[in-house]
Amino acid sequence: MKLLRHDLHTLTGAYALDAIDGVERERFEHHLNRCQSCGQEVRGLQETATRLALAVARVPPPGLKAAVLAGAARTRQHSPLSDTRPTAEPRLVRRPRVAVAFAAVATVLVVVLAVALVLQRRQLNSERAEQRAVAAVLAAPDARILTGPASVGGTATIVVAARRHELVFTSAGLPVLASSKVYQLWLIGPSGAASAGLLPEASQGRTAPVLASGLVPGDEVGVTVEPAGGTRQPTTKPIVLIKVAS
Amino acid sequence: MTSPHIPGPDVGDAGGDGTGRDLDQLLALVARGDQTAFEAVYDRLAGPVFGLICKVVRDPAQSEEVAQEVLLEIWRSASRFDPVKSSATTWAMMIAHRRAVDRVRSATAEVLRDKKSAVAAVAPDIDEVAEAVEANLERERVRRCLGTLTDIQREALTLAYYGGYTYRDVARLLNVALGTIKTRIRDGLIRMRDCIGVSW
Repeated sequence: MKLLRHDLHTLTGAYALDAIDGVERERFEHHLNRCQSCGQEVRGLQETATRLALAVARVPPPGLKAAVLAGAARTRQHSPLSDTRPTAEPRLVRRPRVAVAFAAVATVLVVVLAVALVLQRRQLNSERAEQRAVAAVLAAPDARILTGPASVGGTATIVVAARRHELVFTSAGLPVLASSKVYQLWLIGPSGAASAGLLPEASQGRTAPVLASGLVPGDEVGVTVEPAGGTRQPTTKPIVLIKVAS
Repeated sequence: MTSPHIPGPDVGDAGGDGTGRDLDQLLALVARGDQTAFEAVYDRLAGPVFGLICKVVRDPAQSEEVAQEVLLEIWRSASRFDPVKSSATTWAMMIAHRRAVDRVRSATAEVLRDKKSAVAAVAPDIDEVAEAVEANLERERVRRCLGTLTDIQREALTLAYYGGYTYRDVARLLNVALGTIKTRIRDGLIRMRDCIGVSW
């Protein structure tokens, strides 16, 4: 059974509806891992299928709740597939205690590896310097990870190297913006907000790391939605705001 | 109308049951074994899960059995829910649909029903007020948007999703070429997405 690339792409709909089985499904999933636009489309279509499901909601039988709750009480839960607890926490994580330092280091390693993968794919020489700067933040002995939810959905993660006055910002799951808008990163202190650049377009829901310099203890890291090209000062309410404790 | 209230997630998973938490947050608590949070998750999802399974499986007793499996699966795998990949409701509905489909495909693999009865069986129960959801904006919107599709798009979509057929079966039932059915399903679903206004 030979499938051309074009044929594979038209399977997004059938896949979102669970209407492909077996080998064909596996092949499509394999393709999905490498095709960003397919992934984006599949997610939108899966959310659409959910609306079809909600439209046929029914009152469940009376005995079901008791049976399910009793079943849960005696059913062992799966462990997470990988141990990434600090980033799995959707709220602001600020744990200065030594006990969690080890976990934080492990997470830094995960981020380093993820960033390394992203960097590996970039081939432009001009980006080398920034890559080294990003790597230096991640490798800083005082590197800390903070995460915060975005009010529009998604999560922001920053690695702060306070002594270098730098941080690296990444995000996952922020909604895709119209081409006339961008996400802009800010360092916000008592004297106002300073632009720290625009977030690159997300790839598979994640934005590539952005390096921000000039960080002062007590600053807040914010993200706003701005017109394409960015602005000098924020014009909208931040969708992400993370306080960098001194 | 005296239709019973079906607790369900409203669009965007925002909390509406007084817990003040959205489904994402509840699942994070469930992942740590919080049974009270699981009860709140049950209240939000049981109606949609049971409704979808009934639609696909049809037999009420079997549907209840599958719904119970699915809701327990949600308890068991809460730690594997990834908000980057889908909304919490979609994660749950994908589990429900998969289980329902597994049940019917194994049972009816050889007995492919004829087109007329298959299409009739999966048509959304537009006129059935008995089962109507109280806050049935979603139902109304889906009904209206299904109405904007071409006949073949609508039949293909409902046979695949509500009927639990593979697209190959759908092609056979509607007597349409495979390539055509793939595009019809995709085009129909894209049209639904834009009509309903799903943003992701």
